[in-house]
Amino acid sequence: MSVINITDLEKIYRTEEVETVALNKISFEIKEGEFVAIMGPSGCGKSTLLNILGLLDDLDGGSFKFNDIEVSDFNERKRADMRKHNIGFVFQSFNLIDELTVFENVELPLIYTGIATAERKKMVDKVLDKIQIAHRRNHYPQQLSGGQQQRVAVARAVVNKPKLILADEPTGNLDSRNGNDVMQLLTDLNEQGTTIIMVTRSEHDSRYTHRVINMLDGQIVTQNIKV
Amino acid sequence: MFKNHVKIAFRNLFRNKSYAIINIIGLAIGIASTALIFLWVEDELTFNNYFSNKEQLFKIKDRQTYDGKTYVFDATPGPLAKSIKTDIPGIKYAARCTWGDQLLFSVKEKNIYSKGNYVDPDFLKMLHLDFLKGNANTAFSQLNSIVLTEKNATKFFGSIDVIGKSIKINNSESYIVSGVIKDLPENTSFNFEWLAPFKIFENKNSWLKEWGDNSIITYVETEPNANLADINKKIEKYITTKSEGSTVFLSLYSMNRWRLYDNFDEQGKEIDGSVKYVRLFSIIAWIILFIACINFMNLATASSEKRAKEVGVKKALGSDKKTLVVQFLSESLIMAFVAATLAIIITYAVLSPFNNLIQKHLSVAIFSPLHIVALLCITLLCGIISGSYPAFYLSSFNPVAILKGSKSNTNSGAGLIRKGLVIVQFSVSVILIICTIIIYKQIQHVKNRDIGYTKEGLLYTTLKGKLGKDFGSVKNNLLKIPEVKNACLNNSALLQSNSSSGDFEWPGKDASKSVLIGMEYVSPEYISTAGFNLKAGRDFYPDALADSTNIIINEALADLISKRDVVGTQIYRHDGGTKYTIVGVVKDFLYNSMYSKARPLMLFSDASKANYLTMRVNTNKNLKATLSKIETVIKTHNPDYYFIDEQFDKLFKTEALISTLAGVFASLAIFISCLGLFGLASYIAERRAKEISIRKVLGASVQLLTVLLTKDFLKLVIIACLIAFPLAGWFMYNWLQDYEYHIKLNAWIFVFAACLAISIAIVTVSFKAIKTAIANPIKSLRSE
Repeated sequence: MSVINITDLEKIYRTEEVETVALNKISFEIKEGEFVAIMGPSGCGKSTLLNILGLLDDLDGGSFKFNDIEVSDFNERKRADMRKHNIGFVFQSFNLIDELTVFENVELPLIYTGIATAERKKMVDKVLDKIQIAHRRNHYPQQLSGGQQQRVAVARAVVNKPKLILADEPTGNLDSRNGNDVMQLLTDLNEQGTTIIMVTRSEHDSRYTHRVINMLDGQIVTQNIKV
Repeated sequence: MFKNHVKIAFRNLFRNKSYAIINIIGLAIGIASTALIFLWVEDELTFNNYFSNKEQLFKIKDRQTYDGKTYVFDATPGPLAKSIKTDIPGIKYAARCTWGDQLLFSVKEKNIYSKGNYVDPDFLKMLHLDFLKGNANTAFSQLNSIVLTEKNATKFFGSIDVIGKSIKINNSESYIVSGVIKDLPENTSFNFEWLAPFKIFENKNSWLKEWGDNSIITYVETEPNANLADINKKIEKYITTKSEGSTVFLSLYSMNRWRLYDNFDEQGKEIDGSVKYVRLFSIIAWIILFIACINFMNLATASSEKRAKEVGVKKALGSDKKTLVVQFLSESLIMAFVAATLAIIITYAVLSPFNNLIQKHLSVAIFSPLHIVALLCITLLCGIISGSYPAFYLSSFNPVAILKGSKSNTNSGAGLIRKGLVIVQFSVSVILIICTIIIYKQIQHVKNRDIGYTKEGLLYTTLKGKLGKDFGSVKNNLLKIPEVKNACLNNSALLQSNSSSGDFEWPGKDASKSVLIGMEYVSPEYISTAGFNLKAGRDFYPDALADSTNIIINEALADLISKRDVVGTQIYRHDGGTKYTIVGVVKDFLYNSMYSKARPLMLFSDASKANYLTMRVNTNKNLKATLSKIETVIKTHNPDYYFIDEQFDKLFKTEALISTLAGVFASLAIFISCLGLFGLASYIAERRAKEISIRKVLGASVQLLTVLLTKDFLKLVIIACLIAFPLAGWFMYNWLQDYEYHIKLNAWIFVFAACLAISIAIVTVSFKAIKTAIANPIKSLRSE
């Protein structure tokens, strides 16, 4: 079963004078349980692609099926609904909310999907245990190291048990030791059945994945499937 | 250094254009409202300043105590002026003056109504009237002479060279113009267009010789070095030396008090008159200005994160705290001066509607030294108040922390103050909203009160020429018009009663207590025309003579006389004279004060003292046609007429003005507060953009995010309401106590005001909040 199936996907940025084709008729499929890396130089369109896959951005042409449902014509509300139930995000700059504690940050997606308080507490505690940061649950993001912050961000992405995790250069702001920790965490999650798509510029990180999609100038160059 | 400050200040204003505009518009509106209010206050405080001898000018007040209550009047006996001038040393001039008469002047083809007074020659001297033609000493040497104001002379004759010309008055006698005086400025207590010798009036009214008849105004000018306490002591019981048993006490009342005080409590002690409104609006002016200053403080500290780096670099480069304070202050001062310039333009633009509203002719007179200094002071004050807090706050940043990029936690203190200031703004706005609603409701409450008869369809005209004598035939002609239901004569216009006496007695009355009773002299059709209801007894007979010793009284008086039937009881003056028999009791109707209960009243069947002709017409039919038919009947006598319901509305002029002004300033206060709130919401939205995006990515809906952004502001407005409620309630409770007939404070008024403030705040904030919530989240996440 495919989680994502896109055909002839197009994204064009228009200003008054120029049209820039960010994504030029891209097609690919991602099956359930896959761990895929999207690689390419700056400006090749990989972040744009990730935003579209995350239902954060519109597409200008082509078809996009998420869980075999055509979502290209979804409005804002339907996309938000689809997003909160199925997709978790991990960003390069962590994007934790400074005013909330570790616990509250991780709890946030559960609030938005309408899960009851007691149930939420159980789920958050469980995931914080799993990433071994439960002792820091009442700390604020600034009180944590970068690696710890990114682990909290991963916890927040998975607490909802999403089908798909989208990670945008998750190790970009981390040193190699913390980076490895985060990659190991993602691998573990993948082994437990979560589909992961990760944008990265690191060859090292791409080795954790099943296959690499290489992009250049808005087009897919290779879709290298590894053993 | 100064040039550098100004340069940075202007660049900052331009860089943060929208915030600069919010600040400047808010402050400009604040300064303009303050300017308008202070122009009004100045006009009130300089009332009668035209008279250079103001300190020596007085009118004589008359105090009478009935049943423990003291009433203070301007009315004095006719012989008083001449008598005290000779008897009491220190009095330089004393003059009698009528209450004001509207006469019909005919010059050639022109017929013009004009208001003026009959006065003694001393009146011309004590006011130092500026004679353009003729002079004060000779103006009244002939009996039928008249002095015209410059404006009036020009209106009648087209020039002021009019000495010796003749004017026909009320289609009967003729007066010869003996002087032309310069018009008095508007802000004096006098608004006469002509003055004529009091002697003319005196010759027609024999009662002016009575010491017991308090019926005209007496003005006095004292010698500059006179001992006022001495004069007051001599004058207090002066009437008792002339009229035995009189309980009327006199005192001098200084011209300084006429305009803003001239209000007395039940002990006869002077209390605040309209001065309380002068004070109130001065306070409101300062508050509006402060609200505008708050906007600057809030936006400046909220944007401090943006300015922090500049402060850090400057401190690192060796700038000390003082230099930074001066820099930030010069920024707020520059902004205040820009706002003041805009305020001058606004003030000029709205002055004419404002003048219409307050019925004055104020002028901005921006080049008058007082106005320049006042504007300068207000501007400097605004600049300093708004700039001082941000200046000290920003300049106290620690440069190391800022340059290292660590987020300053100093913001929480500033945030608290910011919240406090927003609460202040909205408390004031809510208080003003509540006051506006309550004042408005009180006016409506009194206007809708059952005054005892139907005022719609009643109109009256003053008796001129032979209208009174010919009443019989005039009435017959009027009744031939099918829409005219009835007509009568009466001595005071309905809604008023000008004569009263405390001399009346009846069997069983406590002789030690006197009761002040209003007296109306009317033709027999009076009760049926006005539409009063009889409670007991009968109406007057159509033949007035048949009731010449009978009276009809109102319920208020009947209740004082006896709990049982009073018809048949006799009433008489304590010094004898006619005994009047009560033949009827009319249900209470209101006169003089619409705010109190009906006061005791007697009706006499005697139209010889009547001053007005009152008609009841059917207003359902074509009113215009009816009026033109009425005009043809009364035209030969007096083509002017007034509607009672319109006169009734005029009774609420002061309250209506206060209500409108309160409404205007409440709107301004809330507008300025919302400007600030909008600016603050924008900053907060900007600062929380990243957080909002994260939440959105995590699945928060637009509604949820809007609520999130709006909630904090809402809390502040709700706290503001809770502060405003008791203050406004206390304030309005006290105001309502001034009126005997008043509304009760209703919780719904408060709830409504709160809802209004909250909804306005929500609209203001959510505009920005929704914009932030629907923005594409990847934009703010990418900018990392």
